[in-house]
Amino acid sequence: MPGAPAVDSGDTAWLLISAALVMLMTPGLAFFYGGLVRRKNVLSTIMHSLFILGLVSVGWVLWGYTLAFGPDTGLGLVGGLDWLGLEGVGIEPHDTYAPTTPHLAFMAFQMMFAIITPALITGAFAERKRFKAFVLFALAWSTFVYAPIAHWVWSPNGWLFGLGVLDFAGGTVVHLSSGVSALVAALIVGRRMGVVRETQPHDVTMTVLGTAMLWFGWFGFNAGSALGANGVAALALVTTNTAAATAAITWVTLSWLHRGTPSVLGAALGAVAGLVAITPAAGYVAPAASILIGAGVAGVCYAAAQLRLRSRVDDTLDVFAIHGVGGAFGAVATGVFASTAVNPAGRDGLLAGAPAQVALQLLATGAVALYAAAATAVILVVVNALVRIRVPSSAEEAGLDLAQHGEAAYQL
Amino acid sequence: MVIAALLVFAALLAAWIVAPPELGDVPERAAGEPEPLAQVA
Repeated sequence: MPGAPAVDSGDTAWLLISAALVMLMTPGLAFFYGGLVRRKNVLSTIMHSLFILGLVSVGWVLWGYTLAFGPDTGLGLVGGLDWLGLEGVGIEPHDTYAPTTPHLAFMAFQMMFAIITPALITGAFAERKRFKAFVLFALAWSTFVYAPIAHWVWSPNGWLFGLGVLDFAGGTVVHLSSGVSALVAALIVGRRMGVVRETQPHDVTMTVLGTAMLWFGWFGFNAGSALGANGVAALALVTTNTAAATAAITWVTLSWLHRGTPSVLGAALGAVAGLVAITPAAGYVAPAASILIGAGVAGVCYAAAQLRLRSRVDDTLDVFAIHGVGGAFGAVATGVFASTAVNPAGRDGLLAGAPAQVALQLLATGAVALYAAAATAVILVVVNALVRIRVPSSAEEAGLDLAQHGEAAYQL
Repeated sequence: MVIAALLVFAALLAAWIVAPPELGDVPERAAGEPEPLAQVA
């Protein structure tokens, strides 16, 4: 048919590979978090990510995708039910979301984002949350928090998209939303029993392995968000790697000066902070800017993690300090460094003579943070009324691997 | 078919809600009962 959109094999191959790369991030996150907890809780922590991989995959196919990307219901807040169960989402391109790839490929790519986002939150309540409560929370959060925010920012009819907010791959949709929700969850679930300040990771090698998987998968996360095998994808891959690299060496330097040793764990945390901050900017900024973003976010997140240690908040694995603070930093930095000279499809930021873009980014940051915080609190209160969120103290003492799953990670 | 798929998911959700308590919910053992699961500290 003349004029009908055609599938481009190169774009489709890249988008499908990117979906697979992003899928690998969730088991990567499981290892990242699994190494950070005490050995009596490693399986339960890994299980959070593993179960979400199944849970949100099915929920996304049935109703998540249509709520996030379906035709708007009128106010730019949420999609309608037109694509319930992926009815109407097929192998042909979609003129808005996937003009050169099958609509199903775009849906699958977005599904992997929907999966990892609630998995990020689990680091905040690790070592004390009841599995049944976790399942209900994850399902409700992906439905009532993730899907609407994705619609606001990425649907052409979303209200933040319409204002001109830039979020290339999910700085607000994925990281800010999960980071703020993690803080709320840590406050509501409460501190771990007997933990005064922090606990030591039981296996830093596992955390480094998880970091490597995350870093690798993030190339799909960010460069895949170009939705094609093109120059913007190359730009995003370069800025992603550069920001992660800069943040890793900056965090190590800071911990070296502050605590006296170049921390291996610091390299891992720094890399993730850099990856978080470059996410909203990856396809809109020059490689040199990604060095500034990486260095800046390492300093900000390092400070946030130190402040958390002095607080009463037991955000077990520093989800807020890395993803909440890093996501907000990246969103604002996008408004500073974005340039149409780099990507004509983007917008100019502060340094390109458009300071209003910073205000837009701040508006998006505030709106996403407020909604995520309020909705998460409501969900946790409701879930707690159905099934207690927290395990009994005896289970917490024995460890969740045995108490919740009847299994032990190591037979030593 | 979509309705059937939704029903399958609803059945899973119902199962999660009514699933038995985890081991950690079992009341403390009385004296003389077998040793509790070894703590993995």
